[in-house]
Amino acid sequence: MRMPAFVRLTVRNIVVNIDPGTLIFMLGLPTLYLFVMGFMFQGINPNGGLVVQYHGIAIKYTTFLAPGIIALQAFTAGNIGGSMLWSDRRWGMFEQIMVGPFRRSEYLLGIIFVSIIFALVGSAIMIGFAFTIPVRFNITLAGIGLFILTMVVGTMLFSSIFLIISGIAKSMQAYNTITILLFFLLDFASTAFYPITNSTPGWLHVIAGGNPLSFISDILRESFISGVDYNSLYYSGILFVAMLIFFVLSLRVYKNIRSGI
Amino acid sequence: MDYLHEDQYEVVVENVKKSYDGKKLALDGISFHIKKGEIYGLLGKNGAGKSTTIKILTTLINFDSGNCNIAGYDLRKDSSKIRKIIGVVQQEESFDFTTVEKNFKLTGMLWEVPKNIREERMEKLIDLFGLQEIRKKRMYDLSGGQKKRVQVAREFMHEMKVLFLDEPTVGLDPIMRRKILQYIREQAKNGLTILFTTQNLEEADMICDRIGIIDGGKIVEEGTSEELKFKFGTLRTVKITTQTNVEKYINDIKEKIKTVNYEDISFDENKILILGKNVDRRVGDVLGSLYEMGIEVENVSIENPTLDDVFMRVVER
Repeated sequence: MRMPAFVRLTVRNIVVNIDPGTLIFMLGLPTLYLFVMGFMFQGINPNGGLVVQYHGIAIKYTTFLAPGIIALQAFTAGNIGGSMLWSDRRWGMFEQIMVGPFRRSEYLLGIIFVSIIFALVGSAIMIGFAFTIPVRFNITLAGIGLFILTMVVGTMLFSSIFLIISGIAKSMQAYNTITILLFFLLDFASTAFYPITNSTPGWLHVIAGGNPLSFISDILRESFISGVDYNSLYYSGILFVAMLIFFVLSLRVYKNIRSGI
Repeated sequence: MDYLHEDQYEVVVENVKKSYDGKKLALDGISFHIKKGEIYGLLGKNGAGKSTTIKILTTLINFDSGNCNIAGYDLRKDSSKIRKIIGVVQQEESFDFTTVEKNFKLTGMLWEVPKNIREERMEKLIDLFGLQEIRKKRMYDLSGGQKKRVQVAREFMHEMKVLFLDEPTVGLDPIMRRKILQYIREQAKNGLTILFTTQNLEEADMICDRIGIIDGGKIVEEGTSEELKFKFGTLRTVKITTQTNVEKYINDIKEKIKTVNYEDISFDENKILILGKNVDRRVGDVLGSLYEMGIEVENVSIENPTLDDVFMRVVER
């Protein structure tokens, strides 16, 4: 049976990107966040651990943190997707693939598919780790559906953002600087690690509130903790529209990429 | 002749123009054609248009005007069909960040080579290109020459009708270079059509059936190596070894052979070197003069021009 071109490219991307560096970035870092931050913050209050108010419910910090760490998988997988294009351009493989039996759209699909696979596998592993902390999740069918949908949309959004950077960056230094800056800004100025409260400074409130990682984290919290409601679907809709905008932008940048750096 | 509709031609390029900025032409009406199973060498200085030609023919960039046809497919209309029947070894390095072996396997998989054939072909190429010792190494741990070997060998993992080789032997040691050129030659004998760019004129001389010299974005001379040498390499060197020291006869010899119209003559103990246009045709006169002077000749050799001589003359005229 013939394997479609984008599937062959997806397999190639998986083989090439399963290396210690990528695995540490994708799984090692979030695992450290989950265990180190989880236990350290939990230990702030010696009398029964740190408690966070979420949607009017008092929950343990670890339960609050875990969906944020799972959401990080969409970010890291998207980052890996963008880096694939960058790396292929840098090492001549983009050009080599473009003179082979493939279309540009198939190459792009190969990157997006592998990002989604990485995000889903990574988040499944994080869910497994989260239960060892332990966390108290309220698993429902609707919650699982929304979790998968959010991870797919979120990964496509971050893939698009990083594909844009890969497409316009002219040097390795520029690419690394922008991605590291985004990594810190999007990771830490979000609700992945801590909730926005009345004491959060206004400017940080705005940044964190508009950060797509906050949207993904909050939707996952609703999927796993408070339950899917109209609010979760509303935020999913915003996330979907944002993804479409960035995806179209990334297509425009991608279309104009000339082979080679 | 209507090359576009002739079956025997696998690559037809007619009056192709390309400008990157809309002003200066990188290709200024380049035309050439390559027969099935032929190795066509594209020679030119840096910036002459070799790589632009290859990028156009391998569908990486568009061209402004003209016609290109590969294996019967029109480059403008059938680029995706063309990509399925060509192989390309780029001038720049290109590899996946994994081991040598996986680079071969991935290429086979991407080109849908059946798994059993993939393995067999990989083993053969690894042997042939001397990659046994480095097959488990990651690509970024290899030297420039080793990477190039993998890059060239990997391209033979899949079937193709036309192969584009953009300076494929840069960085290779002489033994490996010869081995690879021999392999390429064998592939052409089996029917593979090859467009080969190089700056190493010796290797173009060695493997190309025909050569096109590109300058200013167009082919300025074309022919077999011998044809080009005959056309442009009229300077010959006649080397005469004598049994006696000729240095004391310098003036007499010069006087005796002045009708030969040489451009330069030099003497070194028992050797005479005569350089000039068509001096090879006057060897008899020279030997006769030496005989008259009582100088016994031990050996005579005529050195033919090299492709380097031709190239220099064409691009500097």
